[in-house]
Amino acid sequence: MDWKTGRLPLTGMRVVDWTVYWAGPFLGMMLHDLGAEVIKVESPSNWDSMRTVIDVNRYAGDKKRPMTAQERANVNQHYNEWNRGKLSLGVELREERGRQIVLDLAAKSDIFIENHRPGAKHKLGVAYEDVKAVRPDVIYLSLSGYGQTLPERDAMALGAPVELASGLFSLNGYLNDDTPAKTGFSYGDPVGALAALSALLLAVRHRRKTGEGQYIDVAMRDALSFGIGAAFTDWSANHTERPRRGNRHPVYAPQGVYRAQGEDAWVAISVRDDADWAALGLALGSPDWHGDAHYADAQGRRDRHDEIDGHIEAWTSQRSARECETLLQNHGVPAGAVLDLQQVGEDPQLAARGAFQEIEHPAFGTEVRASSQWGRGDEPQPIDMPAPCFGQHNHDVLSRILGMDGAAIAELERDCVISDEISATDD
Amino acid sequence: MCALEDLRVVELSETAAAAFAGRLCADAGAEVVLVEPPEGHPLRREGPFCGPASQNVSAVHLHVNAGKRSVTLDSETQADELRALVDSADVFLTDWATSALEPLALDTGALQKRAPRLVITQVTPFGDTGPYRTYAGTNIVELALGGQLKITGDPDKPPLSNYGSQAEYQAGLSAFAGTVANVLLRDASGEGEYLDLSIQDVVATHSEHRGPALNLGAVANRAGLSVSATYGVYPCADGFVYLTAFAPPLWERLKAVVGLDELEDERFATQAARLEHNDELQAVLTGWTLGKTSDELRTFARRGDPMTVMETPERLLASEQWRNRGVAHEVDRVTVLGPPWPHEEPPRHAPALGDANEAQL
Repeated sequence: MDWKTGRLPLTGMRVVDWTVYWAGPFLGMMLHDLGAEVIKVESPSNWDSMRTVIDVNRYAGDKKRPMTAQERANVNQHYNEWNRGKLSLGVELREERGRQIVLDLAAKSDIFIENHRPGAKHKLGVAYEDVKAVRPDVIYLSLSGYGQTLPERDAMALGAPVELASGLFSLNGYLNDDTPAKTGFSYGDPVGALAALSALLLAVRHRRKTGEGQYIDVAMRDALSFGIGAAFTDWSANHTERPRRGNRHPVYAPQGVYRAQGEDAWVAISVRDDADWAALGLALGSPDWHGDAHYADAQGRRDRHDEIDGHIEAWTSQRSARECETLLQNHGVPAGAVLDLQQVGEDPQLAARGAFQEIEHPAFGTEVRASSQWGRGDEPQPIDMPAPCFGQHNHDVLSRILGMDGAAIAELERDCVISDEISATDD
Repeated sequence: MCALEDLRVVELSETAAAAFAGRLCADAGAEVVLVEPPEGHPLRREGPFCGPASQNVSAVHLHVNAGKRSVTLDSETQADELRALVDSADVFLTDWATSALEPLALDTGALQKRAPRLVITQVTPFGDTGPYRTYAGTNIVELALGGQLKITGDPDKPPLSNYGSQAEYQAGLSAFAGTVANVLLRDASGEGEYLDLSIQDVVATHSEHRGPALNLGAVANRAGLSVSATYGVYPCADGFVYLTAFAPPLWERLKAVVGLDELEDERFATQAARLEHNDELQAVLTGWTLGKTSDELRTFARRGDPMTVMETPERLLASEQWRNRGVAHEVDRVTVLGPPWPHEEPPRHAPALGDANEAQL
């Protein structure tokens, strides 16, 4: 992939992105990063709730008055994170003329993605059959919590709770604890989005070879479960419940998260093998305890893990997390400061690879956004467009792609079939 | 989907990210040759095991190496054979650092001269550029420096790694998608491509609360099981359930299914009031969930009520939903999950050590 020459794999392809919240929008954004033109479709009566469901500014402790739904629709920092690079079409899908516009657009597109509740696409008449009728080779992908099959099809799914349904939650937890633990964010979303992207790219290759489109049904839960697939294989062979292992590793010993100097400051350290163990001794200045013959091999270190953790933490707690990281890494020991999300934004490695870049957003102002994860390095792929305001590209999409004239567009506006405002009332 | 059936992938890996990407290539129909040292891939020795531990058949090996062929090579004494294998591939997938590949002339610079049509995917802890490119990384270190570790776990305990190798898994999915994207480019141009993927980059990209942190100064921290009374995990009679009534219509629906008069109280009348009386609301809802079994709650969840019930691997393997979707497959007396998209062919068994030595070398 080479953004400088415009050599991106989906250049020339168009995507109708009828998605909400995180997983679906992130999928659409990645398709843009890979070169596609992505048109985000929302309705004035049924917009992507991510725009308004959380008043991020209030959540941030901003001293200003809470914003109205209308005001916050274009500045939400979750929405703007996962929708950059898209064009926005605000069209009323419940109106027949609105539905027809979406189908006309789909007829001129290659890919259609959606992640609404499984019944919605049929109710609104924009299901695979509807799109296929106007675009026979369309690749239509539905991303949902549990898939388009019964009996769990209609269960509500969000990226955080779906972790409970995947098996992952039941296995997470502190060492030997009875209580499971939850990943600290909506983990089903990015994993579901990447699984969906993978399936879509395979379908694109299939279409380029055969001319055939297809319908793809991807479930976030299935993608999460695949990531812990070994636990399913283990169960099938051994029928044994395993104790929770917290921050420890089946092979690496010791491994843990150790307290560093400062409030809620921590450093993660892994000793993969005896060579790492020797290097750790050198990094710590060859303390007497390190030479204990019981610690010479991994089994001995696993048997005395608590004891070793105490020795290591006595050292780490006298230093900043970054200092621990540097001293250990200089000797080749895997170690990393446990960064909070502000520190992630300041990390020199992520900065050097262009992970985060500034872009001007028409409503919010200057924003910092993550760039394409496949375009990073010494010359990172630049972020080319911010997330769109609601309905920002109605005229462009209708005239350039659908060939409508000004009078026709004005009529649609007058009849509220298209709009650049959501019809929110405040909650 | 056998979209990659015309491709030959050579995988030189030690950890899970590249191994996951290779597994997905096999699921998509490619011939995947896993290059292992004579003593076997390190993941074969990462328990738990299926069968005697001495045989080094780990569950993770059976999962991430399913469908691959195995070639054993000593990279020091058989470097010529290794180069010939890589040079003749369509895709070279590796998690080796450039400093380890260079002495073997398998680094990108050397490969691009010898094999200009090769699609190269190099997935490493920190990528091949920048000040940390020589740093050592493991799953937990990548979670730490990517921002996912700090926010997982209880606020009064240390940050907690989630189960398995989740940094590596996220990067494996990303490496697979990036590889297929580069194959699409090669299909059109006939020229090779190179992807330098950093696991830290992927983890940091997926850190959900980063946008608000960097643009509004709202830095999230560990919240344990419960974000709030209307968005968090509750214990039930025989397990756990996540209640997700964070928006007004969802709250109305939860109230209807819970059916307790206490919830009509004005302390819980609006979203703001519910947040203000969070602990009282949590107590009322806990009383309700503790009186329900997972099966009772599943009935509510399946009809669309705002809740999600905890499942275990055992329970999922027996579930009707997975049977209907064809998620799990019996492969040589163990269960192996298929790829996370619709597939007709079940995965094939993970290879015995060196099962393709004769055919490939």
